[in-house]
Amino acid sequence: MPSPLAGHLDVDASAKTVRHYRYAVERMMRILGGWIALTPELSAKLLMGRHVWDSAQHADAWGKRLPELRARAQVSEPAGPGLVAFLDAVEAAERPEQTIERLVAIYRVLKPHLLAVYEAHLASANAVYEPPTCRILAHCIADERRHVAAGEAILRHLLRTPAQQERARACEARLWALLEAAGGVTGAGPVTRAGVGAVPAAVPLSDDAAQFIQLEESTAPWPLAPELEQALHAFGAALTAGDPAAARRWLAPEVTPGPDLDRHLRAVAGCRPQIVACARLGAQRLIKLRLDGAHEAVTLLLRWVPTGSEWRVAAFEPGSASAVQPA
Amino acid sequence: MERPIAYDKLAREDRLVRMRARDVAQLKIEQGLPPFPDLLSRDAIKERVHGIMVGELQAMEGAGRSVYDFPDAPWEFTLDMARQVWDESRHVEIYIRLLEHMGGYIGEFPETTILWRCACAEDAAARVAGVNRGLEGLACDVFNQLVHIARKMGDPILERAVDYVLADEITHVRMGSKWLTRLTEGDPERRRRAIEFQETIDERFNLGGIRREGPHEVVPISIATEARREGGFTDEEIARLIKTTQRSAVY
Repeated sequence: MPSPLAGHLDVDASAKTVRHYRYAVERMMRILGGWIALTPELSAKLLMGRHVWDSAQHADAWGKRLPELRARAQVSEPAGPGLVAFLDAVEAAERPEQTIERLVAIYRVLKPHLLAVYEAHLASANAVYEPPTCRILAHCIADERRHVAAGEAILRHLLRTPAQQERARACEARLWALLEAAGGVTGAGPVTRAGVGAVPAAVPLSDDAAQFIQLEESTAPWPLAPELEQALHAFGAALTAGDPAAARRWLAPEVTPGPDLDRHLRAVAGCRPQIVACARLGAQRLIKLRLDGAHEAVTLLLRWVPTGSEWRVAAFEPGSASAVQPA
Repeated sequence: MERPIAYDKLAREDRLVRMRARDVAQLKIEQGLPPFPDLLSRDAIKERVHGIMVGELQAMEGAGRSVYDFPDAPWEFTLDMARQVWDESRHVEIYIRLLEHMGGYIGEFPETTILWRCACAEDAAARVAGVNRGLEGLACDVFNQLVHIARKMGDPILERAVDYVLADEITHVRMGSKWLTRLTEGDPERRRRAIEFQETIDERFNLGGIRREGPHEVVPISIATEARREGGFTDEEIARLIKTTQRSAVY
């Protein structure tokens, strides 16, 4: 029977492991913070917003543990250049249309791996002299398990097409290979990841993915006056028919379309326009129409003004459509 | 990742319409409307709640950027900014639900990026001065008044929820006061520049006389003297702010 005082890490090795954990967690926290502004989908934005603080607390707890292990407080240390390369690759997904890659990197690769490493560490830690570390591990495990479950729920919500699912799979495989090559967050391998199973939800900890998805889907039918609805229908029909002349009938006399308009309209001819935004500006309405062509997606921002019993477009602005379809 | 990011890089769902603040104001004035929603009707309050909701969204994004943009700042600074991200992300949810409570929806009014533009200082001290003292100070003014109006309207949902947000905002102002001092210790020039940046923001959000000292029911945005004091503003700073509002165009 092994001695109750047998252990697998000496004090210096324990401090080194803690610095490796802190590097991964601190960098993940900073990346999540930076990504919030670059992520269009509300559900993913809120998810990241909630998890930045949890991750900061984990990094802080690891950093405070260090002086108890005869090391300098709040120091992060990568396990090796491979881990730095892995996190550089994670961080590279910064374009607005890369939300899937961002969520896969954190919630299908890094956090499940951290969870597995923490669980393995906790299982092998000495119960007599390592409880200060064990308490931090237990706290981080509970949070990471919740995070992974919430991230997976948001990913399932966002992965709507086979092409998106394929993108997610490819990204996961690419990043997983980098993480394996790095030997994981400790550099010591083997590189594993944990599933989360059922997550106990007794305390309201504010990262309920179902609520975030509900907020993203909460837009009610657009409140349009019947005359405006008719005008939009006719304007949209002209666009669908690829008939710029008929579309121009709805423009106010002072509006002069720019040279790009015809080009955009030709690219999306035959598409059925979809209203994706309707904002009020006094009596005027700002309407966004999205047109998905075979090769190009265009969003037209139109400012409609009431003129007697009719509505006219007083200003419009074509632009490339965002990657985000209305939920 | 780029550091810092430009205002037009803020990623949004299609349902939000983004416009320059000055264009929104101009188009409202042309229709005989006040450029900034008053608090005289439920509809105007709804519009203000929508403006606050997008402001909270930008505040969450801004605090997130402060976590990312300043890796060399003291760790406790990063911790405070991370805490602020969490707070602001809950505020976004609170204001979306308040918007729904008032019969509104996300995207019902245009989003302006004037707050974000003010939040992009490249120096950490200037950013906390501008964001945590300038903009969060403004938030204290607006929320304090909204709590009062909600109480008067008999809307306990609005009153209670906004009061919790106000408590958080006072904490953020306090963080700003703390970090403005700590980050500029021994560097009076850096402190001067940071305060100057904050003052340009204060001046801008006096909104030509819309923010001023006065009763909640009378002035469009009333200065929350007590909340500001709790956040670490000195009496002298509050008096100076009030004085700047008296220099504005409507006086």
